[in-house]
Amino acid sequence: MPVCTTSTSAWSRRRLRADTMAYKLVEIELSEPLAAITLASDQDGCGLIARWRERLIGFHLVALAPGSTLSAEQLEAIADENFAAGVLAAKIEDALRVISRSDSQRGRLSIAICTKDRAARLGRLLDALNRLAPEPTFAEIEVIVVDNASVDAETRDVVARFPSICYIFEPKTGLNFARNAALTAAKGDLVAYLDDDVVVDRGWLAGLAEAWRSCPDAGGFTGLVLPYRLDTKAQLLFELRGGFGRGFRRLEFRGARHGNPLYPVGAGEFGAGCNMAFKRALLIELGGFDEALDTGAPLPGGGDLDMFYRTIRSGHTMVYEPRYAVYHEHRETMLQLRRQYWSWGLGMMTFVVKSWRTDPVLRPLHRRMIRWWFGDRLRSFAKASLQLKGREISFALAELWGGIRGLAGEYDRSQVRVQAIRVSHT
Amino acid sequence: MSGSFAIHHVDLSRAEPAVTDAEAALYIFWWKALPLGARVARPGELPLGPAQLRQLVAEFTAEQLAAREPELGAPLRATYEGKPHHVLTIECAEQIDRPIERLDRLAQPSTASGEGTSVVVCSRDRGAALAVCLASITRQRSPPGEIIVVDNSAQGSVQSICDRFSGVIYVHQPRPGLSTARNTGVRTATRDLIAFTDDDVEVHQGWLSEIARAFADSNVDAVTGLVLPASLDSPAQRCFEFDMGGFGSKFVPTIFEERFFAETRPYGAHVWTIGAGANMAFRRAAFEHAGLFDQRLGAGASGCSEDSEYWYRLLALGGTCLYEPRAVVFHHHRADWADLRRQVRAYMRGHVSALVAQYDAFNDRGNLRRLARQLPVYFVRTAIHSVLQDRRERRAMLVQEVLGWLAGLHYLLRPGWRLARVHRPTR
Repeated sequence: MPVCTTSTSAWSRRRLRADTMAYKLVEIELSEPLAAITLASDQDGCGLIARWRERLIGFHLVALAPGSTLSAEQLEAIADENFAAGVLAAKIEDALRVISRSDSQRGRLSIAICTKDRAARLGRLLDALNRLAPEPTFAEIEVIVVDNASVDAETRDVVARFPSICYIFEPKTGLNFARNAALTAAKGDLVAYLDDDVVVDRGWLAGLAEAWRSCPDAGGFTGLVLPYRLDTKAQLLFELRGGFGRGFRRLEFRGARHGNPLYPVGAGEFGAGCNMAFKRALLIELGGFDEALDTGAPLPGGGDLDMFYRTIRSGHTMVYEPRYAVYHEHRETMLQLRRQYWSWGLGMMTFVVKSWRTDPVLRPLHRRMIRWWFGDRLRSFAKASLQLKGREISFALAELWGGIRGLAGEYDRSQVRVQAIRVSHT
Repeated sequence: MSGSFAIHHVDLSRAEPAVTDAEAALYIFWWKALPLGARVARPGELPLGPAQLRQLVAEFTAEQLAAREPELGAPLRATYEGKPHHVLTIECAEQIDRPIERLDRLAQPSTASGEGTSVVVCSRDRGAALAVCLASITRQRSPPGEIIVVDNSAQGSVQSICDRFSGVIYVHQPRPGLSTARNTGVRTATRDLIAFTDDDVEVHQGWLSEIARAFADSNVDAVTGLVLPASLDSPAQRCFEFDMGGFGSKFVPTIFEERFFAETRPYGAHVWTIGAGANMAFRRAAFEHAGLFDQRLGAGASGCSEDSEYWYRLLALGGTCLYEPRAVVFHHHRADWADLRRQVRAYMRGHVSALVAQYDAFNDRGNLRRLARQLPVYFVRTAIHSVLQDRRERRAMLVQEVLGWLAGLHYLLRPGWRLARVHRPTR
């Protein structure tokens, strides 16, 4: 039988209109009556963050007329269409959980935040962490802020507002230098890394605890990343082009995966580095983060992919848990956004080159990944060109150019740079 | 995916089933007699932890309840692609209580009698397979009123096989063509329901009883059911099941009626999503109303799609079909590449011929759109994907599909063939 299928994603999106301005982010609680949503005159849509009895169920973008009102009835219809199946499944899952509640575990958690020159955002994140309800799974929680060579004392001042937070200054510029510094200082069984441009969801800690309890052997955990605000065109565009969305289903990743012939080389499907946690013992066993990746400019990426990949390749499980959620402040301007796509291409290919060198067993997969990646990006470039979409063309080109640079010796260049930084600080 | 490949049936209603096998396998999940869904795992992908299993059960249960509980909006109607329209609301979802008890009730095996059903099996020179098929039919929990084997071979090669099973009615129809053979079966059958299966199929113990229940519970003209793979040992079988989509196993019941047809006919109604000829049944009255199978179509004639053309005709005349996955059969896919290539080519040729026949009978231009636009677009897409994903086997099958399509196009140019149509519109 000829079978044509179209893939439909739970992460459903509306097509972007050319004159998009900003979207209002609204949290709705589905177990209670819904209220109408009124947009400001410079907003032409809304992003619905749906919960049912506190639990995150889904995220949906709705395009609307500027300044219009979405009535309660319209909102209910949208909610029924997009979230009802999730509510039913969540309800059944809760019913099943009562039967098998034998899991509890106590351990220590270190929360590591690496930051550079973003004191205001750091303060916002620390406030959110402070508001989290205590979680009995973790007997002890420490928060470590690694100040990655900030130019002024503002970061230190913000941390000083919170009495129990451990402050570390890491003079070597580079995110993975900072992550390793946090690892050295951490005492917890788990180390949960957060970027300074996120804010944790109120269920973040409980979500991580749940993920850990349900899979105590896992080596790493990642969580859902939702947008913090969609106030600029660039932020909205990023979200509409996929954002960090990895959906509202819990996933466990092991040594193989059906339906992805390149697994585990892609590494992007595991999650995002702005919200990830690992067993501390595993990180130490693996030798920490690769300091030649995620160095900040000129190579601001690849470090998270590398660690996910090494976790899987060392025989450990990665768990993706949607309730372990953060809100990420997306890049505000088109220029920054284009640079982000460039850095994704660069980070991805640098990571592939590195893995190709260090993991000879999977070299055929790495080669196929390179071929697939460039084929896929060229295809989106061709599609954007045919449709004369200037912005899409520039994003595709930026990502391609980043990929080419990554393939052409970026890892070696980065190692030289990183070595120079190390030498200058000894 | 080389080496052994198992098919495991897992009953999730038993506490903590051990889903831990290390070899590549297709897992088919059940809740007692109710099939819930399937998932493939490669070596190293499992085990499923308790939280994963819980999520799996919750999702499957939600799907089954939404499709089967009238309080939640069941029965569901099909959309364009054959998937069900979702009508669930949050209010209903919140009010539903004791979901697992409800699932238990839905999973009760049917107690309907197969006595009112004639089972028709058409066979052509595949004696060994037929023997296995007949054995499975005689093991039915509720046996059929009669079993009719239509021997479509020139010499009547399977008569000796049929003699081994008591009560099997043997009919010889030497004129080649699956439609011709099926029509012979319909003329021979004496019961009010007529169920068809193929000689390369083994039916589930409760198959007939579930078909009888489906007809008893709803006023439909035709019922189709779930076709699962019987074995995936050879790479060709796995290619058919996973790369080509197999028989499109879906696990929720779906109604196909006039609305589905009206909505989708401008784009070439996707009637093949209704089911498969290896697992279909009709009320006898349907044949009196819509005529018999089109003898120009089907294996042995144009290649395939005599089943879907018949559903097309039923829907066009205002009839209703129900896809009910509780009625389960297991199909033996072609085990070697040459057979599979031939089959894929014949499927596409038959598909195109059915589109031509449907266009001639009902003058629906959607059939031509499917033939001249959708299929070429599908070929190009599949080609790009197979190159990007480096799927050589899929590419080889695509070549066969294109060849079949080209071979099918010539039916357009055969006025004699086109004039020999069975159904002429009366409205």
